[in-house]
Amino acid sequence: MIFDEKTLRKLDRLALVASQVRAGQIKGERRSLKRGTSIEFADYRDYTRGDDLRRVDWNVYARLERPYIKLLEEEEDLAVHVLLDASRSMDYGTTSDKDGESGNKFGYAQRVAAALGYVALAAGDRLTLVALRGEAPTAQFGPARGRGQTLRLLKFLQDQPTAGSTNLDAALRRYLLGPRRAGLLFLLSDLFSPAGYRDGLGLLQGRGYEVVVLHILSPDEIDPPLAGDLRLIDAETGAPQDVTLDNPLRELYRRKINAWCRDIEAYCLKRGMHYVAVSTGVDWDEMVLHHFRQRGLIK
Amino acid sequence: MLKLRRREIEVSSTLLWQMVLRDREANSPWQRLRRNLLLLIQLLLLAALVLALARPFWRVPTVASGTLVVLLDGSASMQATDAAGAATRFEAARTAVRQLINSLGTNGSMSIILVGHQPQVLATATGDKAELLDVIRRAQPDQGEGDWAAATALASGAVRAGDAAHSVIVVVSDGGLPANLPPLPAEVRYIPVGSSADNLAIRALAVRATPAGPQLFASVANYGSAGRSVIVSVSINGKLNSAQQLSVPAGGSADMVLSNLPPDPAVYQARLTLPAGDNGNGGRLDALPLDDQAWAVYQPPSAGRVLVISPGNVFLEQVFAALSAQMGFQPFRLKAGQPIPPDPFNLYVFDGPISGTLPSGDLLLINPSSNPLFSVGGVFTSTAAARVAQNDPLTRFVDWRGVHLLQARQVALPPWAHAVVDTDGGPLIFAGEVDGRRVAVITFDLHDSDLPLQVTFPILMSNLLNYLAPANAFSAPDSLQPGQSVSIKLSGGETNLSIQDPAGARTPVPADGNFAGTRRLGVYTLWSNQTVVGNFAVNLFDPFESNIRPAPSIRIGRDEVSASAPAEQGTLEIWPWIAVAAFVLLLVEWWVYHRGMTAPKFRKTTLEA
Repeated sequence: MIFDEKTLRKLDRLALVASQVRAGQIKGERRSLKRGTSIEFADYRDYTRGDDLRRVDWNVYARLERPYIKLLEEEEDLAVHVLLDASRSMDYGTTSDKDGESGNKFGYAQRVAAALGYVALAAGDRLTLVALRGEAPTAQFGPARGRGQTLRLLKFLQDQPTAGSTNLDAALRRYLLGPRRAGLLFLLSDLFSPAGYRDGLGLLQGRGYEVVVLHILSPDEIDPPLAGDLRLIDAETGAPQDVTLDNPLRELYRRKINAWCRDIEAYCLKRGMHYVAVSTGVDWDEMVLHHFRQRGLIK
Repeated sequence: MLKLRRREIEVSSTLLWQMVLRDREANSPWQRLRRNLLLLIQLLLLAALVLALARPFWRVPTVASGTLVVLLDGSASMQATDAAGAATRFEAARTAVRQLINSLGTNGSMSIILVGHQPQVLATATGDKAELLDVIRRAQPDQGEGDWAAATALASGAVRAGDAAHSVIVVVSDGGLPANLPPLPAEVRYIPVGSSADNLAIRALAVRATPAGPQLFASVANYGSAGRSVIVSVSINGKLNSAQQLSVPAGGSADMVLSNLPPDPAVYQARLTLPAGDNGNGGRLDALPLDDQAWAVYQPPSAGRVLVISPGNVFLEQVFAALSAQMGFQPFRLKAGQPIPPDPFNLYVFDGPISGTLPSGDLLLINPSSNPLFSVGGVFTSTAAARVAQNDPLTRFVDWRGVHLLQARQVALPPWAHAVVDTDGGPLIFAGEVDGRRVAVITFDLHDSDLPLQVTFPILMSNLLNYLAPANAFSAPDSLQPGQSVSIKLSGGETNLSIQDPAGARTPVPADGNFAGTRRLGVYTLWSNQTVVGNFAVNLFDPFESNIRPAPSIRIGRDEVSASAPAEQGTLEIWPWIAVAAFVLLLVEWWVYHRGMTAPKFRKTTLEA
């Protein structure tokens, strides 16, 4: 899963685009030349490893015995949140990508998450990456900043298993409970959440997050290569569903899944969220380097 | 057993599948019925099955319906080839009976009697159309006259056993019924077949011995309405001997005589053919080929010519004189040493040493010398304890206990012979078959024993003569008609007897009994092992059958029954065709189902933009 040099160099040149949580609105510093242009106090934030010790407010430290970094208006960075759906339904898909590896949805999502995380780290953004399982985030990386955290990021992603069922609403709510700073949020999921996801997304937006929904599906899910008398077993719940799949029913399913995706897209667009339909049939680097750029998510 | 077996497959989520199935269920019963080819075919299939089970039928005109007794003419004339739309009249009759079967109603029943030499009941009061059609398919006509008296008696019995008041007897025939048939206890209807009276027939063929030699007589009859010329070809043992053209007037006959025929036993065959250049009737001689050929077996009357070569033996002379009249043979005497005449004899009796070559006929050798068949040694005298073969026709009624011999010649028993009377010194009498002839040997001089003075001597000689020169094997007229039996009388110890019919089939027969399997026309051969014992011929020679003019009506009792028109309404069931259509629909439904079940090939798909 380690990126090759060529891909890393391409990713190095990229930067995430936050059109709503704009650098400037909160005046975030993106490792640019805009340093110390203002002394107006903006906010405190937790000290994270790698921060400049000179920026620690020692008075607050003496008082609270916890290090905080004093942020000036023009120094606030972009918080990037990557939420990776690690439920059982993501462990699906049998297509092959150009690397000859199994085109599993979760593997694909891991690569895309790694790419987004690397871009954020390389740009000096504050990256937080969590794995969602069941009703809560169950593993977290960061917040972290700096290219030096790349290997940790990749190892974190590699060690994540898939397990449990999907309840995105609950998981997103739980994510907001922690001390977090709103920023650019990427949700990588197949959105197979019987309990729903819209309330959770709405909450995120309400808290000031700029939400990007990366809806990941496998070509086998879009156009199932199945036929005949079948008993479909749900990977998360184990519940069976008997179906006699003939051509008319297959056509019906294809129309349904496309309608479902369009419905989600319409919801997202209506609320000012970004939505990208991601098929694991498209190579992941093409998705990141081309499609995301086309969508204005990265530059 | 019929539970649907589903293949289990794990998918990421069944969320969308549930949505799809809910939508489909919601739409299907209450919305407009979507075009569903499979459903339509299944509904059609169901409708076809229900319709077939209801056994629909059409009304069709028929000659008779209800409780039927069908008399199907299977006599020789039904093999005439003048039926329209069928190979023979019998095929046309078969078709007419099939139509009766197919139009039989659900409550109808049919009995079928095939009228041949021995009428057969093919089906008894059954409504099972499949069974009736099957027996009709397998019915075959005879080559002789039909026994209508017996057939009508069977029909009467069948009517009385069923519903006499509503029964109908249907006669399917060319009208060749005898006069004076008794009345029948039910209404009679008649379906005629055949159209032509054109037939030439050999009505007689015989070969007789005359002082000038065998003479053949043949007679040809013309039952048509126009004079005809015909070639009569005569073959002897399969080889063409002569061909003569005869002119036979309409309704008359013409005779032919052949002389200067070979005196040997032979099988004669006469055949009628068209003269060269005559293409009348489309190259066909007449409508009934059965009587266009005939056979005759010639057996010379002097079958018992016996030549006795002896220096003078009063015992032999007396016994042959006594037996000749009884056994029908003619003895001839020749002094020993004189040349044997070239005329063939059925039996040669050598009394004493043999001079010259042995003739090719059957042999009785008494006190012989060495010869090509066996060697003779010195004499022996131990002849007291003689052993007589048991269960041997040659020793039947022979009592050897009072016979005394002075001496006998030592002869090693040859492999082709068996001992009839044996002693320690060697056989006294032995017999067997060698080189295609029968040989019996007495190894002692009759003068050296008191055998000729015993009662058993003529018995022994009679047994030997029966073995060596049997009388005619058959007791039968010159020619038999189909179905007539022949009596077999053989007393020469023949074993493993069988009669081979003209088709080549062999039937075992006893040496003294009757044989009635004469259904086929042609020459029959009596075999004993691999030896032909005799032949006899079976010919049609029946003016009643050869006169094939179809009758427009028949007389049963005092009623004249004309050809019946299809005036009744029968039922023709059409469910078999509906069942076939249902089967075709089933095949189509299977094909449509499997066409819809094929999984698509994998392709890289993305969501629609």
